[in-house]
Amino acid sequence: MDPLNPAAKPMGREGAAQSSASAAPAVTPAPAAPSRDVSPLIRELGLTEDHAAEPTALVTPDDLLRVAQALRERGFMLMDTVGLDYSTYPERRPARFAVLHNIYHPRDHRRVFLRVWLDDGQSLPSLYPVWRAANYLEREVYDLIGVPFTGHPDLRKILTPDDLEGHPLRKDFPLGETPTLFRDGRFLDPAAFRAGLTGQTGGLTGYRGELRRGQGEDRTPPVMPAGGPK
Amino acid sequence: MTTTDKPGTDKPGTGQPSRPAPTHGAQAPGGTLAPEQMQPDHQESTSAERLDGQTQGQMHTQIMSLNVGPQHPSTHGVLRLVVDMDGEDVVKVTPHMGYLHTGFEKTFENRTYQQGVTYAPRTDYLHCFGHELAYVLSVEKLLGADVPERATTVRVILHELGRIHSHLVFVGTGLLDLGALTPFFYAFREKEALQDLFEAVCGYRMNQGYFRVGGLSRDIPADWPARVSAFLDQMERGVTEYATLFAQNPIFLDRARGVGVIPPNVAIDLGLTGPNLRASGVPLDHRKDNPYCGYESYDFNVITSPDGDSLARFNMRLLEFGESIKIVRQGLKRLKPGPVKDPNRKISLPPRPELETSMEAVIHHFKLVTEGFHPPLGEVYVPVESARGEVGYYIVSDGGSMPYRVKIRAPSFVNLQALEYACVGVQFADLITILATIDPVLGDVDR
Repeated sequence: MDPLNPAAKPMGREGAAQSSASAAPAVTPAPAAPSRDVSPLIRELGLTEDHAAEPTALVTPDDLLRVAQALRERGFMLMDTVGLDYSTYPERRPARFAVLHNIYHPRDHRRVFLRVWLDDGQSLPSLYPVWRAANYLEREVYDLIGVPFTGHPDLRKILTPDDLEGHPLRKDFPLGETPTLFRDGRFLDPAAFRAGLTGQTGGLTGYRGELRRGQGEDRTPPVMPAGGPK
Repeated sequence: MTTTDKPGTDKPGTGQPSRPAPTHGAQAPGGTLAPEQMQPDHQESTSAERLDGQTQGQMHTQIMSLNVGPQHPSTHGVLRLVVDMDGEDVVKVTPHMGYLHTGFEKTFENRTYQQGVTYAPRTDYLHCFGHELAYVLSVEKLLGADVPERATTVRVILHELGRIHSHLVFVGTGLLDLGALTPFFYAFREKEALQDLFEAVCGYRMNQGYFRVGGLSRDIPADWPARVSAFLDQMERGVTEYATLFAQNPIFLDRARGVGVIPPNVAIDLGLTGPNLRASGVPLDHRKDNPYCGYESYDFNVITSPDGDSLARFNMRLLEFGESIKIVRQGLKRLKPGPVKDPNRKISLPPRPELETSMEAVIHHFKLVTEGFHPPLGEVYVPVESARGEVGYYIVSDGGSMPYRVKIRAPSFVNLQALEYACVGVQFADLITILATIDPVLGDVDR
């Protein structure tokens, strides 16, 4: 491996043997255009295709593990898990929540979204046994949307504080002028918060920041003394 | 680790505090000491280990939990790791994140599409243009906006300069974590020059917010391409310097080679993308595989390495500098004068001088600023190759002027899962190496 020479491909101890065919930098050829259409794949898995801009297949919660396993055996990887709350969506949706698994094939570059519809309180089988990537992704959906995953080995909150009640990305989560509730009666009062920001009170942290706001010792403007700087 | 001294239990003068004489497993099976021989803080060890001098056996100690972070320079942000260690060996790593969680996705839902451009770069503050580009591309796909040629070329140039910026910080701070102070100053010399270029083009050194849905916020300054060109020459010399500084350094090689190996099947299982995946030998690069912004017409290589260790991940970034420089040079050659915004007045603000003379322009300006545009109903996702891997914004539109839901596919968040895998069994110092080479940005992790 020689970073001094960018034309040389980094090679490991056994790298030379592995990459004898491509001693030059691994040039990925222009995609030999295997079809990226996933409609045949969706039919092959016995799923129905959703009408959407991105290729999406509808999956039932019971069927999810089988489909994921079948995709994994074909070489797909889990890129992302999206949790959606459709409770205020203008069009009618089959259920309140949807979980979309963003599945991608790293070699032939097909992408398919698996959409599962589910109601409040309904749980979903975890994809952790299929892809370990599901670990944090499902924890995030659990934390922010509140969809429980059965079979997840470590289903804990991941991004929000431990004592925050509720799931912030649900459409009914209070926003703005409503106090943000934490456990044990702790809450953020918006009026106090705003007063802290505007310098009327010490705010949440007690930091008053007088000096920056010109209310403290340095109230006088920095005027040049007569006769130039001393 | 010390033991409580109890008079009479130590053999004076042996220099071995509280260690019982080797018993060669004469007592209970498994080498457990007889109860009367046990000290209050006795730690179990097998008979083979009590022969340590002869067998090189490893002494088993209690599993100790060490808290690293959240405020720790080598966590590159605010990441807390609880490291369970057996002596110096890491048994388990439990990351705790969320310290920088500010609810960007919720904020997106309550801001217009155009205001979202302000938030996108703040997730990954080292490769801001990656997130910005992914966001505007998704919104443009929703809208069917028509981005002019010049705007696309400038986007490609800035996207690649952003990648160089991110990799510069990687090289500087990554080696700083390994104890090498000098590369930091070398890398930040170029980083400063690069930030001057960003400042020249949009006024901000970080968190630029320069792209607009349908183009750019303004045209680039006239002398900017020449300055970029001069910077690329400086950058090329710089890359040679970084390589000579540490690529052959035996201490660096000892600390990086063979450390934290992630085989390709594991990397795919863990959902790694970007340089981390390519260092494991999987040539996935969305610039080649799902071209956006006309990347299919640029000539560059996708670098891979079969090793999957920390050294491969380091050198991956070093070699990617060269590819980015190549792309920027090609982009500079393609810059032709022309518009930088979609001419559609329902998407782009009218030019400022027109506001003086045209009532129509004033109305459009007012509507765009106060309300914004209304994309049709739909859900889109456009993947983009950032310095850390696949960035994509899954945007759901309900027909309003604010997104119904925005889900950020944050590469650092997913890549961080490799830490739990790669760190088991390594020594604690290697954990720092692995964390540095996985290169998470905590703003991107927590969003």
